[in-house]
Order: sequence, then C-alpha cells, then structure tokens
Amino acid sequence: MSDIRQPRLTRRGFFKAAGLAAAAGAGAPVLGSLTPAVRSAKAADPGFTSHYSACDMCFNKCGVIARVQEGVVTKLDPNPKFLKSRGMLCARGNAGIAQLYDSDRLKYPLLRTGKRGEGRWKRIPWDEALDMAAERMQEVRSKYTPCGMLFTAGADLQSQFVSRFAEVFGSYNITSHESLCLLSNNRAYLDTFGETPYADVLNSRYIIMAGANRFEALVTPDSMDMMTALRSGCKLVVLDPRHTKTAALASEWHPIRPGTDMAFMLAVAHVIIAEKLYDEEWIREKTYGLEQLAGHVRPYTPQWAEQECGIPAQDIARMARELAAAAPAAMVYPGRRTSDYSNSTQIRRSFAIVNALLGNWDKPGGLLAARAVGLKGVPYDAPWYDENPFERVDAGIVPGLFEHDGSFVLTREAVLSAEPYPLKGWFVYKTNPMVNAPDRARTIEMCNAMDFMVVVDIAMSDTACMADLVLPAPGYLERQDPASGLQGSSACACVVQRDPVVPALYESRPVFEIVKELAGRLDLAEYFDFTIEEYRAKQLADLPDAPQALERDGVYYNPSKVYGIYEDRIYKTFSHKIELYNQRYESMGLDPMPVYTPPAAAPQGRFRLIIGRNACVTHGSTNNNALIHELVPENTLWIHPQSATPLGIRDGDMVEVSSPAGKGTIKAEVTERIRPDCVYMLTGFGTISDGLSRIKGVGASIAALLEGHYDSVSGNAAMHETFVSVSGRAS
Amino acid sequence: MTQQFAMVIDSARCIDCKACVVSCKVANNVPAGFSRNWIKADGPVVKAGKGPFGHFQPGACMHCESPTCVEACPTGATWKDRETGIVEIDPALCIGCGNCIPACPYGARFRNPQKRIADKCNYCPERRAAGLPPACVDTCPTKARVFGDILNPETEAARLLTRNSGHVTQLIHEKSNTAPHMYYVGGTAPAGWMHEAKAPASMRALTGVVAPGVKGLVALSGLGVLVMLGRQLLDSRKSGDGGHDRPHASGSNASGSSASGSNTSGTQHSAPADTEDSRE
Repeated sequence: MSDIRQPRLTRRGFFKAAGLAAAAGAGAPVLGSLTPAVRSAKAADPGFTSHYSACDMCFNKCGVIARVQEGVVTKLDPNPKFLKSRGMLCARGNAGIAQLYDSDRLKYPLLRTGKRGEGRWKRIPWDEALDMAAERMQEVRSKYTPCGMLFTAGADLQSQFVSRFAEVFGSYNITSHESLCLLSNNRAYLDTFGETPYADVLNSRYIIMAGANRFEALVTPDSMDMMTALRSGCKLVVLDPRHTKTAALASEWHPIRPGTDMAFMLAVAHVIIAEKLYDEEWIREKTYGLEQLAGHVRPYTPQWAEQECGIPAQDIARMARELAAAAPAAMVYPGRRTSDYSNSTQIRRSFAIVNALLGNWDKPGGLLAARAVGLKGVPYDAPWYDENPFERVDAGIVPGLFEHDGSFVLTREAVLSAEPYPLKGWFVYKTNPMVNAPDRARTIEMCNAMDFMVVVDIAMSDTACMADLVLPAPGYLERQDPASGLQGSSACACVVQRDPVVPALYESRPVFEIVKELAGRLDLAEYFDFTIEEYRAKQLADLPDAPQALERDGVYYNPSKVYGIYEDRIYKTFSHKIELYNQRYESMGLDPMPVYTPPAAAPQGRFRLIIGRNACVTHGSTNNNALIHELVPENTLWIHPQSATPLGIRDGDMVEVSSPAGKGTIKAEVTERIRPDCVYMLTGFGTISDGLSRIKGVGASIAALLEGHYDSVSGNAAMHETFVSVSGRAS
Repeated sequence: MTQQFAMVIDSARCIDCKACVVSCKVANNVPAGFSRNWIKADGPVVKAGKGPFGHFQPGACMHCESPTCVEACPTGATWKDRETGIVEIDPALCIGCGNCIPACPYGARFRNPQKRIADKCNYCPERRAAGLPPACVDTCPTKARVFGDILNPETEAARLLTRNSGHVTQLIHEKSNTAPHMYYVGGTAPAGWMHEAKAPASMRALTGVVAPGVKGLVALSGLGVLVMLGRQLLDSRKSGDGGHDRPHASGSNASGSSASGSNTSGTQHSAPADTEDSRE
C-alpha cells in the first residue's frame, strides 16, 4: 500500500509521515499544558503484596504470583522465574481468581435430603459430617471388607493423602483420573523404553504430532516451546481429523482418517528401515528386535498406508525421510491424552517404535528420560487386613493395568456387577467422572449402587451432586500443600509447593484435614500424626537449598543432568534395551509388535464422535468459571457441510446427537475444519448439577454420549470408539 | 524525555489462547460482556498439505498518533499524553456520551456500564508503576505481545522494530489513517476489519470549531457549571450512536463484527517516520 521503510521513530516524524500533524495538533497543546500531576505520577508503593503459588486450573502446575490487596487476591500473574511454564499464565490460570471468588462455590458441608442426584441438601456442621462419614465408611468396611470402599482422587497435590488414607483404611481400590487420560501412552512407552518420556520440543527440528493438539491442549513447556521451535525453523506436521489451532499454525496438516495413526507410523517405520535411514550402530547397541521389526513392517508400505489413513503415499514416504534426516533432533510427539481407541497402547507403541528408530532417546530434540528432582517419599506401613480380597476389583481383565491408577471404566463395571466382590462406598476428591468418563448413564448407576458416597470438592460438580455427603474444599490459593516434583522437558527439574495466599473461604477444609479427621475417628490417627509443614520437611530432607529457593523464587531447581542420563544405565525392560520387539508381550499372548487392524467403519448415517480440548477448558472443571464462561459459553457440534447439508442442518441449528449410550441437544457448527466422517464436541458441557449456575443443561455432554470402551492392554478409556447419529431438531 | 509507549506484536506467534483477554479483564476490572483487547482470526484455509493455514492477531487500543477518538471527545476527557504517547481517558471529565466509540476505527472503545464512562486499554498504569508489564504482555504464553517505549532504542520493543525494519505492518483504514502505534512485525492478518472513524456531524462541527475552546475550558476549570454546559450541548445534539458499545467480543468470530465501515481497509506496510525528519 505504501512504501516500506523503517527509520528511527520520532513524534514529529509520525506527523509528517501520516500527514496529520495539523489535525493531531488541534486540541493537543491546550490539553498538554493542562496535564494534571496525577497523570504522570509514579506510585512507589504498588498497593499489593505478592505471593508465590503454583496454578491448579489444570494439571501443569505453572508458577503463579498472586497479588493481594487488603486480604483479597486481585490478580494472578505468571512467575517469570518459573522455567517450566516459560513465565506465562494461560487464560485458565488468569481465571483462577474467578474460581476463588465464585458464587457457585460450596460453602459448608451438605447432606443429601432428597433422592440421589435430585439436588436437595441440608447444611450440617463439620463435626456431624465427619462423624457421619467415618461411621458410614466403617459400616461399609465391616460389611464388605475395607476393599468395599473405592477412593478416587484427581491430579492434585493433596491427592497423595487420599491414597495414603485409602491404604491405611485398607482398600486397594484407588482410581485416579489417569485411566481417563494418558495410561495407554504411558503403557506403550514403558513397554518400549522402560519409562515415560518427556518431549524435548524446544530443540527439535522435525515433529510429527498425531493425536495431540499442543496449541490448544496446553502442556508446559511443550506448547510454548513448540512455538519457539517453529519460529526457529522446526517443522511441525499435524495429523488430525480436525483442523485444530495447532493444525492452523503447523507447517503441514493431514486430515488423517481417525483410528489409522498406526498405519501411518508402520509405513514410516517401513520407509526408515527399507531405506536404512537409521543410525545402525545406535540401533544395534541400544535396541532389541530390529530384525523382527523389519520383517513385521515389510508389508506396511506407504501405498498400503495411504489406503488406510488417507494420506498420500508419497507424502508418507517424504515425511519419513524428512523425519529421519532431522534425527536425532526429531520426534513423533508422544502425546498425552490417549484415551481414544481400544488398541491405543498398540497405536502408541507404533509411535514409540518410530521414535526408537530415530535414535532420539535421551538426546537434544528427542525424547528425554525423567531427571532427578530429589524429593524424598514419606513412607508408611499400611496395616494388614486379613478379611480383604487378594486384588483390586478391576484386576485380571487387562494385562497392562497400572496398579496405582486402576481403570475407572473397569472398576465401574465391577461395581455394577458386584463381581468379583462388592464395592459399596465411594470417596471422591476433586475429580469428576460424571463429566470426564464415558457413559454417564452407567456412572449414575454406579452412584446409585453405593451405600455411601462422599465427595470433597470446591463446587457442586455433576459427581458431587450424586453424593450423600458433600464436603467443601478450598482452592489452591487457600491451602498449604506438600512439595511436588515436576519436570519441564529440558527446561528444568524443579520443586514447587503452596502456602495459603489468603485464608480458606467459608467453611472449606482441605482434604488433608478431612482424611486426618477421619483417620482419627477410625483409629488410624498414627498414620496422620504430622502437619503439612512436617511432611514437607521430610520431603525436602535431601535438598537443603530448596526451602530458601522456594521462598525467594517460588521454585527450586535441581541442576541434574538433562541428556545422556542413560549413558551408563540399563533400560528397565525385559531385554534391558529399547524394545522394538516386546518379548514380555509375546509371553503374555499380546502382539509383540503393533499389528494393524482397521478401525470399525461408521454404520450408515452415523459419525465417529471425537473429543478434544480448547485452551480455555480443563475437562469439566473450568466451564462454569465466570471468566472462562464468557469466552466459551457453550459447546458446539462440529460437522462438515457435506454431512450437514443432506441432513438439512445449517450452521447454528440446534441438533440432537444420539448414541447407544445416550443423547444430547447442541448447537451445530457447520465447518470444513472436520472430516465429513466425524463430528466433534468439547468436554464439560451438558451438565446436570444445579450448583453450576452458568452451564447447567447448556450444550451436550460427551460423557452422556460416549460408550464405555476401553483399551485392551491398559484399561484406559477408549473415547473415540462411539458412533453417533445427528438429526435436526425443531426448536 | 518524550516517550512513545507502543505494542510491537509478532502475531505469527499467537496461538489464540485468550490468556491476554482474561488477564486484561482481571487487571482492569472489565465487566462481563466487554473486553479491552482481542484476538482476531484469519481464515483458516482448510486444505490438506503445507501450511500454515491460519493466523491470529492480538490487538487493543493502538494509542494512535492522530487519534480520532480524541477529536470526537467533547470534554477533553480523552487525550493523548504527549510525554508517553498514551491515549488516556480522564474519568473525571468523561461524561459517557459515547462519541468516541464509533470514532475509533478499531472498535477499541466501549462504554463501561459500571463506571458509565468510556473505557479502553491504557497499558495498565498501575502495573507499570509497580514495575510490571501490562497484564496482557506479562501473561502471553508465546510472548507475541511486546510492550515498551519505541523511542528508546534500548527497549525490546524498539529493538524488535529495528530488527524487522521493512517488515512492519500497521493496521490502517484507508479513510481513517490515525497513525496507530501498534506494530505487527513480519506481517499480520486479518486485514480489512477496521471501519471508517465516525463522528456525528454535530460533533465534527463541535470538535472542529468549538471544541478546542470547550475542551480547554472544561479541562481547565473542572467546574461543575462548565461540565454541565458541555453535557447539555452534547445531550441536545447527540445522535443515537454509541449504543452498540460492545467491542469485538473476544472470540475468533469477532473479525466479522465491525460491520459498519467499508471493507476497503487493509494493512499498511508503513514507514512510521522519515529518517531525515527524525534528525531534527
């Protein structure tokens, strides 16, 4: 439009350049001379105090500085010294303040007075609530053994106290949120490399991202590092049936047919092996089973893969070559939420195997091993209960169950069948399976099967509204939390902790106090004979510099080794090497190398429902946040015009979505940003609780629609295996 | 020393996460339904293969060199601080008439329903006084927004401008070149969402002829009588404009919301100043 010059700037220059000097000058001199002193005054005292904390609006635990004025948190800012989060705070982190001061917060203990889930409650004093909880849990224990109680806690710094309580109470039945999230990925990498890696995105030169959406599903520092890497020339290839924001900013995007990622990866492995694009010495030294793998992937040509995944064969071959050329500073991004298919562990094994072929393990730009953080555990000997059954209620169904996380879907089935033994009590802390787990109708049945259900949370979540007793917990800015070790890829290995920024509001009490009180009432006081302060002192015993660093910077960094950790270490696998071929799987009757099975075809007139994230939404926990709600007031059903038009659906129409599991009403978003064979919706809407005033009944719930499939190796939920029908609805 | 605070934005870094929007809202107590800043989305082009396919563009008040909002303000409440280059709103003088709202080609202004006065980005003066960057800059996950005095070559903002010399874009509506002090390095999109600065005919007359005097008097005195006079003048002449004071609602669909102006506006690769002149 005009010429391109970039000289030094001056005000006079601007006037000239813009040709507007006269106009701008008209009113200015008068005003300029009248500038009140206050306008240019610099306040010496900021008027607030600053307090370090760690964010809890998702699981990342980013460094936060809370600004407090007269006892009120007025602003949350990023801690610039916090390397893991690269000195940033996302929309949710900023909205933490609206969680703290939300009018929808639980204020005091509530006892159910109506039918379960009906929403009728009576306020009761804490003593009565705790006495009742202890009594009811004792009843379950004496009737059904200690394992008759199920404990479910979300990813929280105090969740370890719930596990500790569960174990001393005597129950093995503890489920975490993880079996609705990342366990199939963890399983795959554990069974390939012997541990779950961190991705050194920052230093990578070529990244294939399949089944991950790092610019929307924020993971620190990966999301930030992804942008830095892109800006310094890293190539990002996104394979996703949706055109996500990550896809929008990627170097390359391929709308892969859902459920076929393994076909793509096997073909990549085929090209790398056929063309000998790997580091032969490294592969010989560090890996087990190249020969078997070579034979295995021989039929999986790019031409074959094109038929399965829809990506042109020459592109697959090209990407394999580009990936290998950039190796070892190249990767197939491991991903995180991998609760998608019933063979997700094997799908992710194919990712892990390609990474192994790239020789990127333990190297810059590749996959990193866990670094030493230096925190000590605080051990205890849980008592033995003779009456207990031998195993978890969900044991023995899948071969790769994680003992400490269990499988929520399988546990729910056990509750409903009362096999192998009854589970009749449920203690839930800060997690929300009614919103996050597939098949909400089954979860409601599960709640109904309980003799006693208690939920500790900050708000009346859909899960809380199903309970007998609801106990109010304070948020992360109101409590003292134990120290926690974090690794931020190559950025850092660090320790964070929390101290209260403001006192706990209302009658809320942290879950640590709650389980301590319950332990006291159940003759288990000896297992909780400490304060959090004392607990932290034990955790930090080997890190004498940590308390001071935490005080000064809000974070302690352990200067441990980043790369080359495995130089003198053996891999924690059966062969003590990276397992391209898994001998243990073979002995267990599993495929020792990933065998491709095509995903089920959509029945006539139905679409595969896929789910995903948005940078403003953490599962179901932020949708009702006043600040976030303004940005994301509802979810929509993404549907391709080719699919919408024959159904008479126009953009913005209300439609009914239904599956064998349930149904929902939602606004259609007709968009080319999704493949015609899929539909997509965001998590966390279509809620039922009266206590979520902004989002009750708004949009549709993924939990209501998804069927309860699970990964056959890890028991992780499989949330991309449901087909839905969509119909226009007059309204 | 004269400063020009400005925002230098590498919009190719923006991931449209809305952290800046929420951070600003909290820092400045922006009421529900309003926002002082935004992220606009371009595209995306949905096509398999080589990207990138979309572009996100953070924005806010551009603290223009020739701000049409200042011209439109009948009381002198909106003024450009020539020391800092910041376009300020004096809450004591603002009568909430709303004339400045359509006068801004960027839709950066809205009427704050709680304070009943005009509202927009002011680069977080309280934070700067405390030694902190503006809220949106501080929180930005990918550090797309950089803030500083672009007349001071030591600042990161000035360095970014220099480093990208020849590749700096300003968003300017063809009919309303306000010489915005918001610089997008390395190009940006979308373009064409700005509208022509609009002031009611009565206001144009007022600001063109009467205004300097009125502004001067009002600002000078702060006397109720004169403020009232100004208000009466305005009330009797005010058109119905300024009612739709919601700016671009934070959201990727916001780019279509500024429907009023022509669509002929676009980005301008600009030379904000002339080298020779700058030596004066």
